[in-house]
Amino acid sequence: MSKKIGVFVCHCGTNISATVDVEKVAEEAKKNNPGVSYTTTYKYMCSDPGQKLLRDKIKEEGLDGVVVAACSPKMHEHTFRNASKKAGMNPYHVEISNLREQCSWVHPDKPTGTEKSVDLVRMMTEKTRKDKSLNPIKVPVTKRALVIGGGIAGIQAALDIADAGHEVIMVEREASIGGHMAQLSETFPTLDCSQCIMTPKMVELAQNENITLYTWSEIEAVDGYLGNFDVKIRKKARSVDLDLCTGCSSCWQVCPSKKIKSEFDMGLGKRTAIYIPFPQAIPSKPVLDREHCLLFKDARKKNIPPNDSKVCRKCLDICPIAPVKAIDYTQEDEIITEKIGAIVVATGYKELDDISMYGEYGGGKYKDVITGLQFERLASASGPSEGEIQRPSDGKVPEIIVFIQCVGSRDPAKGCSYCSKTCCMYTAKHTMLYKHKVHHGHAYVFYIDIRCPGKGYEEFSLRAIEEEGATYLRGRVSRVYKKGDKLVVLGADTLTGSVVEIEADMVVLASAMKAQDDAEKFAQKLSIQYDKDKFFSEIHPKLKPVESSSAGIFLAGTCQGPKDIPETVAQAGAAASKVLALLSADELEREPVVAKVDRLPAPIFSTCIGCFYCQRVCPYGAIESEDIKARDGSTIKTVARVNEGLCQGCGLCAATCRSKSVELAGFNDEQVYAEINSVEFN
Amino acid sequence: MSKAEAKPENQFEPKIIAFLCNWCTYAGADLAGTGRKEYQANVRIIKLPCTGGIDPLFLIKAFERGADGILVSGCHPGDCHYNSGNYHARRRWNVFRPLLEFCGINPDRIQFSWISAAEGGKWVETINGIVDAVRELGPFESYQKLNTIGPETSGGAADASSETG
Amino acid sequence: MIEELRKKAEELLKNGTVKVVFGYGEGSVPERTRPVFITKPEDVNKLTWNKYCVYNLTTYLKRQETRKLGKPALILKGCDARTIIVLLKECQIKREDVYIIGVTCDGVGDPLAEKCKACDVHTPLIYDDLVGEKRENKEVPFEERYAELDEYEKLEEKDKWEFWQKQFEKCIKCYACSNICPLCFCDRCIVEKNQPQWIDPSAHPRGNLSWNVTRAYHLAGRCINCEECQRVCPVDIPLNLLNKKLAKEAEKSFDYRPGYNIDDELAMSTYKEDDDEDFFK
Ligand SMILES: Cc1cc2nc3c(=O)[nH]c(=O)nc-3n(C[C@H](O)[C@H](O)[C@H](O)COP(=O)(O)OP(=O)(O)OC[C@H]3O[C@@H](n4cnc5c(N)ncnc54)[C@H](O)[C@@H]3O)c2cc1C
Ligand code: SF4
Ligand code: SF4
Ligand code: SF4
Ligand code: SF4
Ligand code: SF4
Repeated sequence: MSKKIGVFVCHCGTNISATVDVEKVAEEAKKNNPGVSYTTTYKYMCSDPGQKLLRDKIKEEGLDGVVVAACSPKMHEHTFRNASKKAGMNPYHVEISNLREQCSWVHPDKPTGTEKSVDLVRMMTEKTRKDKSLNPIKVPVTKRALVIGGGIAGIQAALDIADAGHEVIMVEREASIGGHMAQLSETFPTLDCSQCIMTPKMVELAQNENITLYTWSEIEAVDGYLGNFDVKIRKKARSVDLDLCTGCSSCWQVCPSKKIKSEFDMGLGKRTAIYIPFPQAIPSKPVLDREHCLLFKDARKKNIPPNDSKVCRKCLDICPIAPVKAIDYTQEDEIITEKIGAIVVATGYKELDDISMYGEYGGGKYKDVITGLQFERLASASGPSEGEIQRPSDGKVPEIIVFIQCVGSRDPAKGCSYCSKTCCMYTAKHTMLYKHKVHHGHAYVFYIDIRCPGKGYEEFSLRAIEEEGATYLRGRVSRVYKKGDKLVVLGADTLTGSVVEIEADMVVLASAMKAQDDAEKFAQKLSIQYDKDKFFSEIHPKLKPVESSSAGIFLAGTCQGPKDIPETVAQAGAAASKVLALLSADELEREPVVAKVDRLPAPIFSTCIGCFYCQRVCPYGAIESEDIKARDGSTIKTVARVNEGLCQGCGLCAATCRSKSVELAGFNDEQVYAEINSVEFN
Repeated sequence: MSKAEAKPENQFEPKIIAFLCNWCTYAGADLAGTGRKEYQANVRIIKLPCTGGIDPLFLIKAFERGADGILVSGCHPGDCHYNSGNYHARRRWNVFRPLLEFCGINPDRIQFSWISAAEGGKWVETINGIVDAVRELGPFESYQKLNTIGPETSGGAADASSETG
Repeated sequence: MIEELRKKAEELLKNGTVKVVFGYGEGSVPERTRPVFITKPEDVNKLTWNKYCVYNLTTYLKRQETRKLGKPALILKGCDARTIIVLLKECQIKREDVYIIGVTCDGVGDPLAEKCKACDVHTPLIYDDLVGEKRENKEVPFEERYAELDEYEKLEEKDKWEFWQKQFEKCIKCYACSNICPLCFCDRCIVEKNQPQWIDPSAHPRGNLSWNVTRAYHLAGRCINCEECQRVCPVDIPLNLLNKKLAKEAEKSFDYRPGYNIDDELAMSTYKEDDDEDFFK
């Protein structure tokens, strides 16, 4: 039972031995301690010969416990544990006495340092005596990734993972993938057409055999842990059977309900009740908008099942699919469960669209005061005006246009305190797009600062001013009001110190990029953290920029904070590579430093009394309840059980349990007790 | 203060047990070492993953064994490696410390601090501070003198609950 | 009131709602009562109710012998009923497994028990049936509730130490305190754990301090101040003072009083980001 312990005291060159009498430490370790059967000192324990010495002595002396008195365990605990493992000893029978950081470097007086070192070695020797053999926990990895959100971030991540040969499930809550990038006209800094680079990627995704796409679907629940998530997906009733539908377009052409504001066109265009969001949608199959469909409206009013309403069945009637039509008014939400190994969250952002908050800019008051994304739609060749810049109120081409930057951004009072990062660039882009389309027109930009750090960005924005002739005015706009069919923009030019008044035809607000409205609820579903602005938090802003606070869940794109497309794509690639690293192994090895609730023979079964304090304090939801059953199936006792896959080894449960029924491996009660007990007191 | 030659003869050298979290304060103490920052040698560190894993029993045991002072230290609020461990710990100490004080234990003998992995200097100050404070208080004799020999009367376990009045 | 209690008990036993009624019976002398466990309707006349019904019958919820009797109805004063709320929150009972006959109470004990002096639960906060006229539960100010502590908190450190040492010295480690406590429901109390032995089982001053402090701490944010532990302590250690001190700290720091609200977060398993940390360095 009692261990044969070897104590190896390192000189660390002279780092330790200069102020600690290492020979004495080794000698004292043996004194009055029958458990210690071998001691030695060595110049550099971490060197190859040092490690060999450790391995050899473990074998020769038959050691089953080792104390290395050297530097901080943060430096070489791993090294010595590995060496011991190679010598056939359980690596968790190795403890480190930290003589260098805690003695020799901080206590120059040799006798003092030596005395303390003797104590430190004794403490670890006693702990080692109580060390239990631990084996790495192996968790099998489900080799399938889930990507949530089908914007450019999600698409990029999904393709990267799928191309490496792994299965991917993509869940997108809209009827089509594409996200915001599909809405953009041209993109800075190259002014290439967004659709032209986006559509091929969307098609590639749809055709990739490794990718299963669920559009019009949302995440219902995520359980489990790294390598073994159980994900419930809600497939919302689409009223269209995607397997049957060929996307022939008959239905949306006959739908009589034609005046619904198109979300994709930011309310500037119209769509039908059964519709595809935009021509290049993937899948290019419609969804029936039950809120606006005449049939569903009628059914709701009469309180009858939709199928019983006879008001309109035009789409169903025209659907050419036989014998079973592709349209089904009775379809219901369906919940499916998928096993997943790793998750990429790519749920994107939301444009600050409630511009009525900015009444002083005419937001929400005047039709011709629009947002940045609305301008994108106006400028887009596939947009409501087919790329011609027309003002929403009367279709007139604006001859004078004013752009106001930082609407909602850098405005802690009303909007958000942060900078949305993309607005300076997309406004510069907007002035150019405008100039390219309305040659005789003039663009003004009100800005606070121009922030263009990025490759080619500064040049791009200078081009807007120098080549395209946009007038940049540094200052705030104080008011926008209507005068005839003009919008008068009243602002300050702080550089000349003058007040400017511009009679414009249209005003574009560079509105902020915000977190999705449901970000908080969504984060809670996945147990990931978010910041004060509701963007999801990475665990380390510098060193772990794509890792969420939950192991196995990664972040990509603007759900983590405002960014442009190049940055989004880079982050998506990084997230994908993290996922690939995880999925490349069949099993994950985890440190066995996890908690365990005791189990004893009948009739006690466990000393746990099932108060579940441990469950309440566990930061990782790692504690479950288990019913201990009698042969007849009746419950004898309900007790706690630790899910090893989720436990991160903090020990909170152990310190909370009054009866000490749960303990943390590697830091169990006996080990801590031994440490306290072994300190030599006066 | 900590210079050996400045040490008066027969000066009382208290023993302090420090329960530290692995991620912040233990690393902070390491940093003090790397920076060769000298401090008094009276502290013995017991490392746990998190301050949230420190049971008040550990502190009682340390006193019972003869510690003159105890330090509990971990990550600053908001920085816990396990998100909330230090918050739970802080709650515990919020009730445990007054309890000991109520029983006549000088609160200076049990100190709590937040020391991050970057605060090697704060580690040194904290240790010197507690060592000086406890040295001032003197050995925890009142506790150490408590005997460990009980009366003979060990029987008579009474469940006096059957009647009340 | 006694008649009403008996009638209620009889009804519950007869219609099979419960298998047993935990109540108070007459003791050997009129100034005493004892717990009775009525399983037959014809025995309900053994039930009584008077100002000597001091103790807290919820302790029998944790005992194997009384658990075996089947679903119980308990006669509970307001203070005792608070235990039920804690037990529910700590998953020790299910609401449907106990039937609560609440009794309104103006105070028990002669002289009046300490716990009754600042009572704000004359009418229980949780019950299935209420016997007795409803009383208003007037909140007693914080200072008043903990007034008993003042004189001890004021003592000098040395005097505190001496006072408590005199008390703890007497402890014979009989564990009557934890046995009677309805919230000391562990299957294996920490004192019974011997690997390692955190608390020395033999009675000596050093170990006694550890035991008494640990027991009290284990009830922090949980003790509902029924004063049963102190009542049963054969050597009269004022355990209530320790319990109350912790209750005071929990209330002061966390604004928490156990057994008042079934929906709150248990004080010792939650935290607030702005919990006090003035004592941190
Ligand atoms: C006006 C404007 C102009 C811009 N112009 C440019 C430009 O020219 N160049 C440039 O580089 N950048 C530009 N940007 C920035 C660019 O739009 C973003 O960088 C990019 O679109 C971010 O992509 P994403 O995938 O992170 O997010 P998104 O495009 O927002 O995609 C997120 C996807 O996730 C889905 N989703 C959200 N929540 C859920 C959920 N709970 N479950 C399932 N799915 C969900 C959404 O429906 C969406 O499809 C511009 C931004 C604005 C506002
Ligand atoms: S392990 Fe301890 S804290 Fe957890 S339920 Fe069991 S007794 Fe309660
Ligand atoms: S050690 Fe920490 S993570 Fe593991 S079960 Fe306990 S409280 Fe949860
Ligand atoms: S500690 Fe004492 S007063 Fe508190 S609930 Fe238990 S028995 Fe009652
Ligand atoms: S003293 Fe503590 S460990 Fe013992 S029964 Fe009470 S709560 Fe449980
Ligand atoms: S009842 Fe009194 S004597 Fe018995 S263990 Fe408790 S405090 Fe000690």
